Amino acid sequence: MSPTATATTTELLERLQRLLRWRLWFREKLQLTEWQITLLWAALAGFTGALASMIFSALAEGVHEFMTNSTSGVVESMRHLPWWGCLLVPTLGGAAAGLVLLYGSRLTRSQSSTDYMEAIVIGNGRVPVRASLVKSTAALFSIGSGGSIGREGPMVQLSAVAASLLGRWRQFTGPQLRLLVACGASAGIASAYNAPIAGSFFVAEIILGSIAMESLGPLAVSAVVATLTIRVLTAAQVMYRVPAFQLNSPWEMGPYVILGLLAGGLAPLFLRSLKQSEEFFISLRLPLVARLALGGLLVGVIAINVPQVCGNGYTVVVDILNGRLVWTVLLGIFACKWLATMSSFGSGAPGGVFTPSLFMGASAGYLFGTGVHALWPASGVDPGAFALVGMGAFLSAASRAPVMAVIMLFEMTLSYDIILPLMLCNVIAYYTAKGLAGESLYSASLRRKAAAEPAAAFAATRVSDLMRLDPPTIPPAARFAEIAERFLSVRVNNLYVRDDEGRFLGAVSLHDIKPYLGQLDLAELVIARDILREDFPKIGPDQSLSEALGAFLGLTAERLPVVAPDTGRLLGSLSKSDLLLALVEKRRPVVAGA
Amino acid sequence: MDLPSQLLAQPDALLLDLTATSREGAISALHAQLAKSPAVKDAPLLLHGLLERAMLAPVCVAPDVALPHARSDAVARVVMGVARVTPPGVGFDGEHPAVRLIFMVATPKQQVEEYLLAVAAITRLLKTDGVRAGLLNARTAAEFTALLGRGAAT
Repeated sequence: MSPTATATTTELLERLQRLLRWRLWFREKLQLTEWQITLLWAALAGFTGALASMIFSALAEGVHEFMTNSTSGVVESMRHLPWWGCLLVPTLGGAAAGLVLLYGSRLTRSQSSTDYMEAIVIGNGRVPVRASLVKSTAALFSIGSGGSIGREGPMVQLSAVAASLLGRWRQFTGPQLRLLVACGASAGIASAYNAPIAGSFFVAEIILGSIAMESLGPLAVSAVVATLTIRVLTAAQVMYRVPAFQLNSPWEMGPYVILGLLAGGLAPLFLRSLKQSEEFFISLRLPLVARLALGGLLVGVIAINVPQVCGNGYTVVVDILNGRLVWTVLLGIFACKWLATMSSFGSGAPGGVFTPSLFMGASAGYLFGTGVHALWPASGVDPGAFALVGMGAFLSAASRAPVMAVIMLFEMTLSYDIILPLMLCNVIAYYTAKGLAGESLYSASLRRKAAAEPAAAFAATRVSDLMRLDPPTIPPAARFAEIAERFLSVRVNNLYVRDDEGRFLGAVSLHDIKPYLGQLDLAELVIARDILREDFPKIGPDQSLSEALGAFLGLTAERLPVVAPDTGRLLGSLSKSDLLLALVEKRRPVVAGA
Repeated sequence: MDLPSQLLAQPDALLLDLTATSREGAISALHAQLAKSPAVKDAPLLLHGLLERAMLAPVCVAPDVALPHARSDAVARVVMGVARVTPPGVGFDGEHPAVRLIFMVATPKQQVEEYLLAVAAITRLLKTDGVRAGLLNARTAAEFTALLGRGAAT
């Protein structure tokens, strides 16, 4: 070799080793583990989820403005429409939603599932984009035209789609992708209700069925980022401003116990009525467009005299909580809203029933509180407090997520005064509902889907289910300089050494070579075979997840090589974070919250 | 005393006037001396490892210095043998036709860190001013090992 060439090689090696030393310094000082990287992606999913929710919200308001020629809220707009307008707007909205679904189905024939919950619980985390966009566009019309349905459903769906796209772009593994979609859903809930804790717990309790930190941590980060984004970009505030409530005597807890039983009985009844309404509309055998138009028409008929039934019920709940409605009027609205929600939901109008559930709970609670006040005036109980507690209890019974319901109510009102009756009432409502009916607001459809497509229910049981292909490798004759260069180009702490036949020989550890990076003489002398660790733990593709966990115990490595036991060939690698996520997933029932 | 200093101060084998005509011959001769150490459990296996490694990739660290080495189950601990080849030296490969100093190192399979420590210490030693020339010109074994020990201590 000429002196010039030698000098160039030496210079290159010095530069390479300097780079590697810097990188190691950074890694040691600011070392990001796989979990921390997951948190960063969760934050990004939170941001994109908030943006998706905001865009949907703005579009829904645009559609509403276009259809009613009013910038007021749904209830206010309907109040000012003539009788024929009340009939026409929801009917047209239903028909438009039906047309979008009908023509959109041509674009989405190959896409089976459109629900983010299915993608997380029984799917592979791939939320279909076109199908979701079609359904959300249809929801714009059913919501914008005053359908008795919530907008949170499409907001969460779009947020989950954005997260799913992020994960697919980064080629996440199954468990990682499902977790990221769950983060998107968490961000969607947090954005819709300005409630980050409830957003995290909604997904953890209802969808994942686990509050293990492996999943709750990313969910919380995603929800916080989504809420911050919403707060910075919009004027989002506390959702329900309520007057201060006071618990005057422990005896007041008695009526709350009864309210818990009442809400626990009412929620399954409400859910069953929605289901029956759905069956009724299907039995009519109407074309999709006509069915949705009929659902809209029925809402319009009711709205002529009771415009409060339109929309998700938010403004009416605010009025209830602040005592601005007479109980007799509320009784009428309660019955009509129930019917309107049955019409919208039963006809197949896309949207959510989460917020309508809050309305049902608030109304039932207020009416019950009024009764208590009438029978026991000396107690000084405020029906508004019962409305607030009723919201939580109904939500707890309908969603079968009492912890989430307590947190959500607290976050939406920031009222700590009602925490004691709320907790008691939620738990009683939860157990009452559970005793009366087996399934929650969300579990029924998931269970049907899981039964219809048993193959879709993903449950990693073996190492090969979680294995990542093509891990970074080096040949046994790779020189020290090549090894250093490879460590620079890939983010691993151990490089697997394999021979020409693909057989796994061992691993070279970054930890081993770190102290010698400054020694140029070693660059030419030492090769991978000199420093590989033949005893590096490995695992077979057919081994169980528990065996894999055992292999990771006492090991600092984040990945293990997966090696065929018969041929010794390196097949891939198993990531510890994938394994832990899969084990968390395994612990949950196929359908959580049931 | 740390491991490299101990190895250099008291090598397990020392040959000051080795005459060899080939790389394999030089390695075999020094290996035969090293195999007398009780730490060498399986001499043929060690020789096989040393030769195999030398054939796989170059083992020279300077134009006239070779460092044949192996990680092998044949040894119970890190062992080192040193040899000075009589002029004009022995050819190890095309780029190193006249090797005069041979440092032979063998470590147990599991001891990657110890292996790197030993190899790095030897390459560092050879960079120390005057050590290489001193080793080539040392008249006695005592003078030779004293230079090794002094070099390791600096």
